[in-house]
Formats: sequence, structure tokens, C-alpha cells
Amino acid sequence: MTQSIYEPSSLRGNLFVVWDELVKNMKFLMAYPVIFIFWALFPILWFIPFILQGQAFVGGLQSANFAQITGSGEYIPFIVIGAVLNSYVNTLLYGMGENIRREAYQGTLDYVFAAPCNKAYVLIGKALSESVSSTIFAASQLTISALLFGMNLTLGVLLPVFFIVILLILGLYGLSLVLAAFSLMYKQSHDVSETIGYIFYVFSPVRYPIESLPTGAQIIGKLIPLTYALIIVRAIMLLGTSLSAMYWEIFALIIIDVVFLLAGFYMFNWMETKTKKSGTMSHH
Amino acid sequence: MEKNKEKYRLREVKCPTGVNWTNLRAELSAIWQSNIKAWKIDFAYPVSFIRQLISPIVFMLPYILYGLVLIGGRYSENLAQLVGTGDVVAFIFTGYIMMGFIGTAVWAMGFSMRREQWFGTLEAIYVTPASRLGQVLGMALHSTVHQGVGTIMQFIFIYATFGLALNVSGILPALAIFALMMFALYGFGIVIAALSLILKEGWIVSDSFYSIMTILSPVAYPLIVLPTLAQQASYIFPTAPALIGIRTFLIQNYVPEVVSNVFLHLIILSAAWILFGVLVFHLTDKYVRKRGMLKKF
Repeated sequence: MTQSIYEPSSLRGNLFVVWDELVKNMKFLMAYPVIFIFWALFPILWFIPFILQGQAFVGGLQSANFAQITGSGEYIPFIVIGAVLNSYVNTLLYGMGENIRREAYQGTLDYVFAAPCNKAYVLIGKALSESVSSTIFAASQLTISALLFGMNLTLGVLLPVFFIVILLILGLYGLSLVLAAFSLMYKQSHDVSETIGYIFYVFSPVRYPIESLPTGAQIIGKLIPLTYALIIVRAIMLLGTSLSAMYWEIFALIIIDVVFLLAGFYMFNWMETKTKKSGTMSHH
Repeated sequence: MEKNKEKYRLREVKCPTGVNWTNLRAELSAIWQSNIKAWKIDFAYPVSFIRQLISPIVFMLPYILYGLVLIGGRYSENLAQLVGTGDVVAFIFTGYIMMGFIGTAVWAMGFSMRREQWFGTLEAIYVTPASRLGQVLGMALHSTVHQGVGTIMQFIFIYATFGLALNVSGILPALAIFALMMFALYGFGIVIAALSLILKEGWIVSDSFYSIMTILSPVAYPLIVLPTLAQQASYIFPTAPALIGIRTFLIQNYVPEVVSNVFLHLIILSAAWILFGVLVFHLTDKYVRKRGMLKKF
């Protein structure tokens, strides 16, 4: 008697799916060492102009006006933290949509979706691999920046920061699921992810404090998970604030995460059903 | 049968060759058609087109807002000490308009051949009786106009939001400097286009050059805040002398941080980069065809 492959998947089986997806994506990454080195090093060059701009405008490493708004006059760590956390946005937002698209290019998307497993676990595997690679890149950028610009990194600071990064990643998972859904249906999610990237870049305090934006822009900024992550991480790293003192921002971040994740899974399931019905899954 | 053969004989096309007016006209026509093709592709994706038009504003805003927060206004004493003018908005705007044109050279021109490869049309273009450089120059023309429209939008936005005080009388010489800079950037773009034929993950080369040129160009800071070695390295790219020259003509009281003949510097750079670019492209073109690498991804 042949065994049906359509047996309900066990949790262990599904965890294998997550693990294998993670391993597959890491193998892809390691197969192109130049790309790996590029993402680990080059984002540092993107924020160096802001540091040089600071030196030209204030003539030192401290800005009195910056201190009035943010509580710390040191603009270099402010810029470094903004850039490192923003790199998660770059890799996760573009990565997930492109990951699905890459399966289509490679001709493996149909097989992935025909596999007898819950597709949510495939997505979790993809999201995990993006998170692991993003964290490796962020860690290398932060370490190099700490060595170059003399930032203080201790375990007592890094542990709560890591917790906040996980919360940020969860919110970004939600958004990237929406993008992956767009990718399935409309094939080119690139413009949508770029536009979301623009909104994050302008309305979140990546390069400047959120208080410097007009009120309307600040309201938009407060709907973005990156805004809260940046506020909390900067408070911990630059002002020495404890995690418990930031309970309101953490609560807001968790609420945004839940909303984005629910919206992401709903959108993805909806689009998956639609593409399966229309037979456009493997279209480019 | 013989009659059929005669009837369906392929039409012979006489292609002008050599250095003559007819050939030049034909090559210019190929460049123009390549430019038209790029516009048609642009208009086929209106969302992407609009996004690309607003992106210069999106990426310039952080420089301005960050600058304003640093000094708590738009006048920087320290900047005034360095270059004679403290207006950070005018300083950043005149610097940032160049960034998009660096992108023209590095991305639009550099990736023109690679894009054709993705579309599956590179080999078809290669067998047409026209110079391969025409494709790259057509993209350069398209991208320069595209970026020009983006720059006008940047200007309108900055003028409406912050106000701008620029020397109107300096616009013509500034445009002359800009034109010289673009020639040198075109040469640079041809080099990148040639590299993208060999290096299949050429975006890394483009992004690396773009990042390095951004640092070496005095976009949001004067050249003198860079270390001496970096200052010297910036002289081989056209953006640093061009920015200093353009600011000298456009911003009142601006004192150039490096005193040199900007026009002469840019003429030499333009000639050098274009000659180097054409040479590298020619050699690469021969190499990839010999090795049969055109189809490889």
C-alpha cells in the first residue's frame, strides 16, 4: 500500500521545513561571498557623508541644538544607530518580496507551493533567513562603527537592544508578508517596497530626531515600527535609560507588530488563493 | 522554384561604414532610438516613473533636515568660516543636484548593457550594424534628461519649502561647468558599462563606485573636511571640481576651498575619462565576444 503524501504535517515536519528553508537561503548567501562582504561593509559608506556633514556644520563632535532635542549632543552614534537599524528595513522589506520573486525566476516557486506543507512555515523559514543575514550585517556594521567612532558597546546595553531588534523584525515580517503577497499577485513588488522604504526613511528618525518633522509627518512616523525601535535603542545606548522606563514605546511597538503580522498573513493567504485560482503562480 | 527564390530574396541593407557624415548620422539615429526606447519603457510603468521622479527629493530631504537640526537654523558659523557662506540649504541643494547625475553614469549607463541581457535582447543589439556604444550613449541621453526633470522638481520643492538665494547671473557658467562634468561622467559610465559585461554581479561594482564617489564629492560638506589623501583622490573624479566651480558661480560670497582652474581641470578629466572609457569598452567588447560570454548571467 502506498503512503499518501497528503498526511497532515506534524509540527516536527514543519520545523524541518523552516530549518531547510533557512539553510537553503544561507547557502545562497554564502555562495556569493562578494555580496556577503558588500552588505557587511558598504552600508557604512552610506552614512559617512552625514558624519562629515556634521563636522563641517558644527565644527566638532557635539551639537548643542542636537542635545536640546535628543538629550545627547553626540550626532555620530545617533547616525550610526539610525543606519544600522535602517539596514534591517532594507534587507527585510526588499528581501522577502525578492525571495519569492527569486523562486519564480529560478522556476522553483510552483514546487515550493505544491509541497505538502503549510506555506506559512516556508515563509517563516524565508523570514528567519533574512533576519539572520540582516543581524550578521548589522552586527558587523555596528562593530566596525564602534571601532572607528569609539562607541561604547557592553552586554548590558546589547541585550535589551537585541530584544527591541526582535520586536522590530516582527513588525517588518508583517510588512514583508504584504510585499510577498504583492509579489505573488502583481509579480513586480519592487516599486511598492521602494515606496515603503522611502516612507520609512523620511518619516522615521533615521537621520534626524522625529521632533524636527512637522506635526502631520510626526503622526505618520508614529505608525512605523522603526520609529519606536530607534527611539528605544537610542535611549538605551545614548542616554543610559533602562528598558522598563520605555514601557510605553515598547507597548506601541508590540501593538504595531501584531497589526502588521495579522494583516501580512491575511494578505498572503488571500493572494495565494487568488493566484492559484487564476493559474498565474509561475508567471514572471 | 527559381521564381520563388527571387521573390523571397532577403532585402539587402547597405550600412554606412567608416568616418563619414552618413555613418555619423546613422550612429546618432541609433543613439536617439535607444533613448526613445528607454522613454517608452519608462512610460510603460507609470508608478515606477513617478517614484523615480520624487526619489531625488526623498534622498535630499534627510541631508537638509539633519543639517538644520545640527545647527538649529539654516546658518552655520563653522561652514561660513570654511567656505565663506553659512546658508546650509543653498550649500546642500547645489551639492545634492549632482548626486542624481552620478547615478546617471554609474547606474543608467553602467547597467544599460546588463539590462539588455536581462531582457534577452543583448545579442540582437550586438548583431545590429551599429556601434555598441550607441546603446550606452542612448541611455546616457535618456537618463540625463530624466535626471534633469528630477532636478527641476527638487528645485521647485526646495524653493517652495525653504526659499533659495542663488546668483542668477552665475547660471550660464554653472551650466557650462555642468556640461563639462557630464562629459567626464559619461566616460566614467562607459567604463562601468564595460565592467558590467564581464562582471555578472556588476551592481556591486556600481554601488561601490557610487558610494565612494558620494564620499569624495563635496555634496553636503566642503572638500577640506576630508582627509588629505581623500581630497587628492577626489580630483580624479569630475564631481569635486564641478561642485566647487558651480558653487562659486551660484552662491554669493562662496570662497572655493581649492583654488584651481575648474574649466581646465574638467576639460582634461573629460578627455581622459572618455578616451579611457572607449578604450576599456572596446577591449571588453572584443574579450566577451571572443569568450562567448554575452549570454552568460
